[in-house]
Amino acid sequence: MERNPMRRQLAIMRQSLFDQGHVDEQFVQLEELQDDANPNFVEEVVTLYYRDSARIILNIEQALERKPFDFRKLDAYMHQFKGSSSSIGAKKVKAESTLFREYCKSGNGEGCMRSFQQLKKEYATLRKKLGAYFQLARQAGPVETASRPK
Amino acid sequence: MNSSNGNGSMSTASSSGAWNGRDQFPAGLRVLVVDDDQTCLMVFEKMLKTCLYQVTKCNKAETALSVLREHKNEFDIVISDVHMPDMDGFELLKHINSEMDLPVILISADARKQVVMKGVTYGACDYLIKPVRIETLKNIWQHVVRKKARNTF
Repeated sequence: MERNPMRRQLAIMRQSLFDQGHVDEQFVQLEELQDDANPNFVEEVVTLYYRDSARIILNIEQALERKPFDFRKLDAYMHQFKGSSSSIGAKKVKAESTLFREYCKSGNGEGCMRSFQQLKKEYATLRKKLGAYFQLARQAGPVETASRPK
Repeated sequence: MNSSNGNGSMSTASSSGAWNGRDQFPAGLRVLVVDDDQTCLMVFEKMLKTCLYQVTKCNKAETALSVLREHKNEFDIVISDVHMPDMDGFELLKHINSEMDLPVILISADARKQVVMKGVTYGACDYLIKPVRIETLKNIWQHVVRKKARNTF
């Protein structure tokens, strides 16, 4: 049980990320990679993800402006985006990517556009939630070990 | 492309790759990881370093191939993404199989059977679906040993 109120709030925030389905097991994998040498590893990966994936989002956006849709290209972009998103454990974003790819395979342009709008929403929501989470994590400071006196 | 050493104590890898003097094995396993996605590459690198492997990362297959050609016998295993612009994982795999004797693991977010089948028939020693867990990477040394055993006997 966390005695530090900030740490408690952090734990609650973290749990809600999982409960609401925003992140999955991969996120835990990233947390487990965090150590004294890389105390902000998760935040660094997520930051890199949002920086790098912005380019793919833009590519998809531009591709959706060109009619008729090049479904193969759209699918290729989304495949890339999905791989990246899965590496940070972005569960909802990943699910929406899969849906988008299904629409690409069946040549459903309307479906693609709808799905992409939803994906962008999830992508933005996750960014906000993780941003708040990391900010609180930084404020809460390093985790106290059991050996340290209170 | 950058090169980095794993953490912890480990014996220096001998160029012949003999295991006898390497009692820290699989620590020090010399891995080349190839993926055009920077996020994936960052995560892989950290995971592989946590496994105490010696990691070199590339974001292009052509670069990876040059590195392998210039530094023959300095790598034990290659891990490569399948879908990359310019040269993809299958082509890289074909080159590696024809020019050198290295186990290659393919990775992809693509779990479709026909793609996995292609990887296996092209000679990949394993095909992993992203996201890859660290537990899986902890076992990749088996592919290196298996290949060497096949070559010896």
